[in-house]
Amino acid sequence: MRASDLLGREVLDRDGIRLGVVTDLRCVLDGPLRGGLCAPRVEALLVSRHRTGSLLGYDRNEQQGPWLLRVLVRLLHRRLTVVPWTVVETSQAGPLARPLALRVAAADLPAAEGRHTPG
Amino acid sequence: MTVAAGRVIDLHLHLLDRQVVDPDGRMVCKVDDLELELDERGRPYVTAILLGPRALGPRLGGRLGRWVAAIGERLAERDRPVSRIDFSLVTDIGSAIAVSRPRGRLDVIPLEDWVEEHVIARIPGSRHESE
Repeated sequence: MRASDLLGREVLDRDGIRLGVVTDLRCVLDGPLRGGLCAPRVEALLVSRHRTGSLLGYDRNEQQGPWLLRVLVRLLHRRLTVVPWTVVETSQAGPLARPLALRVAAADLPAAEGRHTPG
Repeated sequence: MTVAAGRVIDLHLHLLDRQVVDPDGRMVCKVDDLELELDERGRPYVTAILLGPRALGPRLGGRLGRWVAAIGERLAERDRPVSRIDFSLVTDIGSAIAVSRPRGRLDVIPLEDWVEEHVIARIPGSRHESE
């Protein structure tokens, strides 16, 4: 599997309601030790209704500017959802065209307190 | 940003499209995609950096992606898999991705290495002053 197999995929909740598309993969460096670093392990999917501007990172980090761009990108991504990998139906991992399904309803997902990327 | 164990990063923002540099600070490639494997609990983790047009093309998608991948396929040696740098060689994730092996020993860009050795190296003044 490649990162690009997950990025850009549509995400549907348990009831088939569309949450958006995967804009990033939030990882923790606690995977198997490989060389000098622990491998980044996917902890959650960042899901937004739009892809535009997400790569700038303004939807995640409070510190970045310029403010006008930051405000516009945050407006686009105001419904950013952090979806823990543990609720992803992993049997669905396959071709890009197929949406990722979740085991829970959108309302049961934790609030996006993980919106801001450390570092 | 130097990354210690347990820190959190976003793959797209902090890894994809970043420059990879060798221990001498020489540019190796860009991170075109990342190879993931599932651990024993079914959670994906990064095993390698993928590079080259055959890694970038499928990520771009659409007609442009198919075009990029097709050119990469045409230029690649027969049956040669997509170039990869094992994640065990990564020593730092910052504004660039540092790897522990010199560029010449990574064998990831054979066409570029061939051109450097057979064409560029023969141009007077092409080598660094100290060499």
